[in-house]
Amino acid sequence: MTLSRESHTSTSNSILPQSANLLTENGKFKKSMASALPSGDQGAAEANSGNGGQMQKKPFTFNEIVLRNRLTALVVDGDNFCRLLEQGILQAYGLETQSVNNGDAAVELIASGAKFDLILIDMLLPILDGVEATRRIRAMGMRCKMLGVTACSGERERQAFLAAGVDMFVEKPLGPEILIPVLRELDGQV
Amino acid sequence: MDVVNQLQRQFLDYSASLHREGFLDDQFTQLQKLQDENSPDFVVEVASLFFEDCEKLINNMARALEQQGVDFKQVDASVHQLKGSSSSIGAMRVKNVCIAFRSFCEAQNREGCLRCLQQVTHEYSLLKNKLQTLFRLEQQILAAGGSVPAIE
Repeated sequence: MTLSRESHTSTSNSILPQSANLLTENGKFKKSMASALPSGDQGAAEANSGNGGQMQKKPFTFNEIVLRNRLTALVVDGDNFCRLLEQGILQAYGLETQSVNNGDAAVELIASGAKFDLILIDMLLPILDGVEATRRIRAMGMRCKMLGVTACSGERERQAFLAAGVDMFVEKPLGPEILIPVLRELDGQV
Repeated sequence: MDVVNQLQRQFLDYSASLHREGFLDDQFTQLQKLQDENSPDFVVEVASLFFEDCEKLINNMARALEQQGVDFKQVDASVHQLKGSSSSIGAMRVKNVCIAFRSFCEAQNREGCLRCLQQVTHEYSLLKNKLQTLFRLEQQILAAGGSVPAIE
């Protein structure tokens, strides 16, 4: 199954300074996307193929989804590489993305009225950490899907981040088995 | 055609060995799947970004460990970041050194930290060389008119 994606671009969507282009920003609507839309969820159909109710676990791969709707995402990560990579991965699926590298900028962005379908936020961030930033974002009434994507791995950290308001605590790396179901849900494909 | 097949096999064998030897894990394979005709250099560019980031972090750690009074929290912050980025690209061996490295930071063990710094520098160099070889094989396949086989 080929990955079809359209790149929605806006000036804030450029994930790298002029010197490099991580992903091609062609801004053209990919007509081939229409024909590439899966008819029903093939994965689930295979899994439930009447073999005594046994769920066959089909491993997720990154290119297993084609979005039908315009989705927006914010990536909040203090590490340049992780921020750009996560943005790049989301852009590969056609999400319109923005990113900031500290918690304070994230809160300010939301406070200024920016809306997102999905927020990926790290725990350890400069200026304002991810837990506090999450708390403030939720306090502003943002009900969007928030994933805490972090290199932290302790149970205490997990509880703290969840208590602050992230919907899921994801230990890096953000892999397709986490991301694909989230995107499907956001896209109304479930 | 023979040349292409040979190169493709070399590429697959080399790729398999990198996984077998623990240099790369499944996350890297997943990133390779995101590469297509719209972004044919995705993996190379991701790798370049990673190595840039890696170098910067290693330099931060080295500088911090050189100080008279080592700020272990600062070292730990850099190691933590490297743990995150290495796991995000699938650089398993680098990530594993970071895990050990963090224990030494917590214990405020300068000798242990310096050993880990050496190890992480070594693993990063190894990985960089190996990925450059992998990318070179890809280029050779394309130059010979073939296509890079998908890793399953």
